[in-house]
Order: sequence, then C-alpha cells, then structure tokens
Amino acid sequence: MIGADVSHEVRNVLSVIGEYAGLLDDLVGLADKGRPLDHAKLRNLSTNIAKQVRRGTETMERFSRFAHAADEPLASFDLVALVENMVALVQRRAALAGCRVQAEFSPPAIPVRGDPFALQHLVFSAIQAMLESLEKEEPIRVKVARRGPEAVLCVSGPAAGGEPSGRISEQLSAAVDKCRASLETSLADGVLSLVFTIPIQ
Amino acid sequence: MERLRILLVDDEEDLVSAMAERLALRGFQVQTATRAAEALGHLDENPFDVLILDVKMPGISGLSLMAEMKRKHPHLPVILFTGHGSVADAEQGMQEGAFDYLMKPIDVEELIEKIRSAAGSKKGADP
Repeated sequence: MIGADVSHEVRNVLSVIGEYAGLLDDLVGLADKGRPLDHAKLRNLSTNIAKQVRRGTETMERFSRFAHAADEPLASFDLVALVENMVALVQRRAALAGCRVQAEFSPPAIPVRGDPFALQHLVFSAIQAMLESLEKEEPIRVKVARRGPEAVLCVSGPAAGGEPSGRISEQLSAAVDKCRASLETSLADGVLSLVFTIPIQ
Repeated sequence: MERLRILLVDDEEDLVSAMAERLALRGFQVQTATRAAEALGHLDENPFDVLILDVKMPGISGLSLMAEMKRKHPHLPVILFTGHGSVADAEQGMQEGAFDYLMKPIDVEELIEKIRSAAGSKKGADP
C-alpha cells in the first residue's frame, strides 16, 4: 500500500512538472509570435518547478528509507526517525480519507535493536486501522517515548460512536507479535488510543 | 465564437493553476477548485460546459463527487483524471456516467480534444 501511495505521489509531482514545462513552452511560443516574455513569471515558474523536484526527492528519500528497512531483519535504528518517516509517508493516504496524522514527538532518538520493517508495518497498520475506524477531520495523533527498557508508541484519535477496540486489537495482533510488542486499547472521552509497548533490545 | 466554460477540480493546487493557465491561453474560460465543497459551490453559482475532475479527492472520492454533481446537472459532461497505474477507478467512472478519462501526466492537446467532444455531447443532450 505504501508503494502504491508513493507511486501516486510521484506521478502527481511529475504531472505538475509536466504542466509547468508545458506552460513554459506555451509562453516561449507566444514570445516567438511577438508577445513579450514576463520575466517575473518565468522566475516564478522556475521556483515552482524546483519546489516540485524537492517534493519528489523527499518522497523518494522517505520511500528509500522505508524499503531499505527490509534489508536486515535485525538492525539498530532510531525509533523516533522510523515513526516520523512513516507518519510522513501516510499523509497522502490520510488526506484522501479526509484526515491528517499529527506526529507529537521530537528527538532525542530512541535507539532500538529489532526488526525495522516489522516495526514500520506495525506503525502503518495502527494508523490504517484508525483511518478506517475513526471520525474524519479530526487528526490522528502519534506519540512515541522511551519508558525504561521499553518504548511506548501511542496512536489515538476520536472514535466513531464507540469503535470496538477488540476488533482493532485482533486486526493488529500479528503485527504486534512480530515486533514482540504488546498492545493496550482504551476508549475515554470519545478518544480511542492504541498503546504499544515495544522492547528496545 | 463562444468560449467553452470549464470547471477544473483537482486537489493538486499547482497542477490546476498551471493547467488552467494553459487552457486559458487556448481560449477556454476556466474556473478551478481544489476541494469538493468549493467545486460544488462553483457549480451552484455558474454554468459550465465541461467538468474535469480528479478521481481521488480529499475526504470524498471523485466518483462520489461526480455522482453528487450529476444529480444536480445530469447533462454536464465529466472528464476524469486518474493518477493511478490502474484504470479501474476511471472505468468505473465511465460506467457511472463520465464522458471520458485521461491518465496523468496529462497531454494538453489530448485534453482539449476530449473537452471539445464532451462539450459537443452536452449540446446534443441539452433540452
């Protein structure tokens, strides 16, 4: 699913660059017929093309980090960076679902020894389960913090009429087991929280 | 000659602004929207000859938006944009009443050809 999202995003970037290139061509064509070139407009187009190239590059760098996580089943990595990358990669999916995902954490890093691809899958599955289950328009919040010898990842959002958390737990059980993690769900004041406890060694 | 009125709806703001300018340079009258509600508002306020719509819109599928627009304006021809490798969404749109579809990146000359055909079909369908 992430691959499809990234492919969609890159296609959008290429489409925008294609339109800007076409517009430049149109303007040059008009200049050939005697219409003066608007230099400020050309500069603006050039800035916009550069912006799209940066957007495409960032998407591909994020996707590359995601894909290379599968290189080694046991690796040392920063959990904060991994979660931040996943949050960025799911934004388009969330936007299409009428929602957004808000990362509420910052460095310091949380060094983890484990399976980075399995953890990515866990983060994605948790966000996807929330996207499928929750009231839209309100953000899904993602927090990660260190707690002693473990890390705690919390994904929460406003539940639609008492979302059955048991169903979500069942849906996520394989991803949780693969990470040797545990999951606790809670529903309080209309907010559903998925709290994962993850060993860091 | 009367200028064809186009409503161009896509959540990619840069895409709609560049494409709108290219179509305007070719003599079309273009209004744009990047959100479903904005598009519905334009449609309520102004007449259009052709609607161009992305199949993936935030918060609502382009096909649901097309259905809503078609309820109010059943003869308005719709050209769908699809950014997906698969044409399944667009083909479903065709079954649900879209005039035609184009895969992104868009070839503007091909788009214009489809706009003219779509506008011609509307003239034939208008009571």
